[in-house]
Amino acid sequence: MQRSKPLLQWLVYAALALWLIVASLPVIWTAIISLRDYVDAFSNPVKWSAPVTFENYRALWIDREFYRNFFNTAIVTLGTVSISLTVGCLAAYALARYRGSLGFWLLLIALIFRALPHSTLLPSFFTLFDALGIRNTYFALIFVLVAINQPFTIWMLRSFFMNIPAELDEAAMVDGCSRFQAFRRVIVPVMWPGIVTTGLFSFLLAYNDFLLSSALTNAEKMTMPVAIANSISAESEALLMQGVAGAVSITLPLIVLVVIFQRQIVSGLTQGAVKG
Amino acid sequence: MARIELKEVSRIWEQAGKQTVGLKPMSLSIAEGEFIVLLGPSGCGKTTTMRIVAGLESATSGEVWIGDRCVNTLEPKDRDVAMVFQSYGLYPNMTVYANIAFPLKIRGMGREVIEPAVQRAAALVELGDLLDRKPKALSGGQRQRVALARAIVRRPSVFLMDEPLSNLDAKLRVSMRSHIKHLHHTLKVTTIYVTHDQIEAMTLADRVVVMSKAEIQQIGTPDDIYNNPENTFVAGFVGSPAMNLLEGQLQDGVFSAPGLRVPGFTSGHRGAVVLGVRPEDLAVSVASEAASNAAESATAVANHARVFSCELTGEATLVIADVGNAQTQQGQVSAQLGKQQLTAKADKSQRYAIGAPIALTIDAQKCFLFDAASQKRLRS
Repeated sequence: MQRSKPLLQWLVYAALALWLIVASLPVIWTAIISLRDYVDAFSNPVKWSAPVTFENYRALWIDREFYRNFFNTAIVTLGTVSISLTVGCLAAYALARYRGSLGFWLLLIALIFRALPHSTLLPSFFTLFDALGIRNTYFALIFVLVAINQPFTIWMLRSFFMNIPAELDEAAMVDGCSRFQAFRRVIVPVMWPGIVTTGLFSFLLAYNDFLLSSALTNAEKMTMPVAIANSISAESEALLMQGVAGAVSITLPLIVLVVIFQRQIVSGLTQGAVKG
Repeated sequence: MARIELKEVSRIWEQAGKQTVGLKPMSLSIAEGEFIVLLGPSGCGKTTTMRIVAGLESATSGEVWIGDRCVNTLEPKDRDVAMVFQSYGLYPNMTVYANIAFPLKIRGMGREVIEPAVQRAAALVELGDLLDRKPKALSGGQRQRVALARAIVRRPSVFLMDEPLSNLDAKLRVSMRSHIKHLHHTLKVTTIYVTHDQIEAMTLADRVVVMSKAEIQQIGTPDDIYNNPENTFVAGFVGSPAMNLLEGQLQDGVFSAPGLRVPGFTSGHRGAVVLGVRPEDLAVSVASEAASNAAESATAVANHARVFSCELTGEATLVIADVGNAQTQQGQVSAQLGKQQLTAKADKSQRYAIGAPIALTIDAQKCFLFDAASQKRLRS
C-alpha cells in the first residue's frame, strides 16, 4: 500500500496532463492561427511558426464593425443575467422556505419547460413576436433567453438557499428585519457564492446562445456567436480568418470573468456539491 | 420588561388534508421579570409555544399579549423580543462585533449609540477580545455567548431561548447555565426558556411548565414540580434517575404488586393504582436482615428482590433491582408477567453483585399514588 499509492498518483497526474493537452490544443491552436494570414494558418504540412499579424483582428473589429456585435451580446447577456438572477433569487428563496406541497409542483413544471428542446418553442415565438411587432428587438431575445434560463436558475439557487438554515432568517426577523430585509441584508450576503455561480451559468447560456439569437435577430441586432458563425461559413478566406479572430475575441471575456470570480465559483460549486 | 399572557393559544397544521396538532389550547401568564422554563420531550409543543410568542409561527386560535399589547398581528421585529437559537443563528459573513451590533443597526441607530452598547453587551458575556473574529473562528461556547450578547444588546422586554445549551458539551453547559442565570439576575428581563433537560429547568426556572403531547401537564416552581407532581408524566419526567412507577393494587391502605407490599397509606382509595417512589427514598439492605425486620416494620417492602445492575455514579450507587419475579418467591417458574424493576439510590460506599438477593424498604409517607386509569395524582 505504501509503495503503490505514489505510483498511482503519478499515473493520475500523467493522465490528467495528457488530457489537459488534448482538451486545450484546439483552443490554443485557434489562438495561434488567429495571428497568422490564411496561407500560414492552414498550410499543409502544419507550420509551427509563422509571422505574427494582427490584420485579422483589425479587419474584424474595424472593417466588419464587430464591436456592434459585441455591444449587442453585452446588452442581451447583461439583461438576461440580471433579470433571471433577480427573479430567480426571489422565487428560489420563496420556494426554499415554503413548506406547502404546491412548491413541488411549481418546481416540476419548471423542470418540464427546461426539458423542452429550444427549437420547439421557436415557431410560436415567431408568431407571437411578429404579432406584437417586437421581433428583432433586444427585449424579445432577452425575454426568450430569460424564459429558457429561469427554471435552471431557480432550481440551482433553491438548492443553495436550502443550505442556509431557516434559523438565520428567523434570527434576523427577531432582530428587527422585515422578511425582505432579512433576505437582502442577511441571506443574500451569505448566498453570494451561490449567486455568482448561478449568474455565471446563466451568463454562459445567454453569451453563447446561437440558435435563438440567430432566429430572433437581424443583421443590426446580431450577437457575437451568430456573427462568427456567419464569417466561418462564408467560404471566403478573409472572412474565415476574421471568424477565427472572432472566436478568440469572444473567449477572452470569459477567461477574465472566471479569473475575477474564481474564488466565489469554486466555493459556490463545492458548496452545492457537498451539501446539495 | 413585560408581562406575557397566553390566552387559549393553539396551533394546528394542515397539510394535504391531514391535521397535526402542534399545540392544544393553552393559557399561561408570565409575570414581569419571571424566568419561565418550558420543559418536555421533543414534539411536546414547547418550541411551538415559544415560536408563537416570537411571532415566527402564528397561532391557529387564541391571543398572545406582551405587556399591554396583543401582539397576534405584529411581526417578530415589532414585538420587542430577542431570541437565542439552538444552533446560534449567527450571521456567518459578519464579525462578532457586527453580529452583536446588527439589531441596533437595523433599527437605524448611530455609531455613537451602537459602539458602547456592543461593548457593554460583549463585556457582560466576557467576549471583549473576540469582537473582530468571524463566527467560524469561535468555539461552540463562544458562539453561544455571541448569540446571548446579540439578544441583550438592545434591552428587549422579553428573552426567548430555544434550547440554547443543547449543542454544547456537558462541562460547558454547566458553566453557560450559570452565566444565563447570572445574566437574568442582572438584567431582570422576562425570559422564556425551552429545554428538554430537567436539570436546566430545575436550576434556572422561577417556574417550570412541564409539557407533553401538545399540552401543559403542570405549572409550578421547581420544588413543586419535583415534590408535588400532578400526574405520572411529570413524576417520571422530572428527576434523575427517574421516579420508580409501579403498577399494583391498593386495598385497605396497603399497596401490593407481585413481590412487593407497601402498607401505611391513609388514602381511602381502592383498586388499580400506580405507586411512585423516588430512587433516593428507597433503602437497600442485604436480604436476610431485612426480612426479619420487615415483619414488624410498617415501612416495608420488597423482600425478595435481586440485583439486576449496580451502577456507580460517584456520589451514589444506583441499584437497579428486579422485584416480583415469582421464581425467586415461590420457586415456581411462573413469570416474567408481574416482574417490575426498581431503581434505588444507595450510599456511595455500598456494592452489590449482580444477581444478589436484596431487600428494599419504602416509606409510604414518601410515596406518591396515581390513579391507574387517569394517571392523575391521588391525594389522601
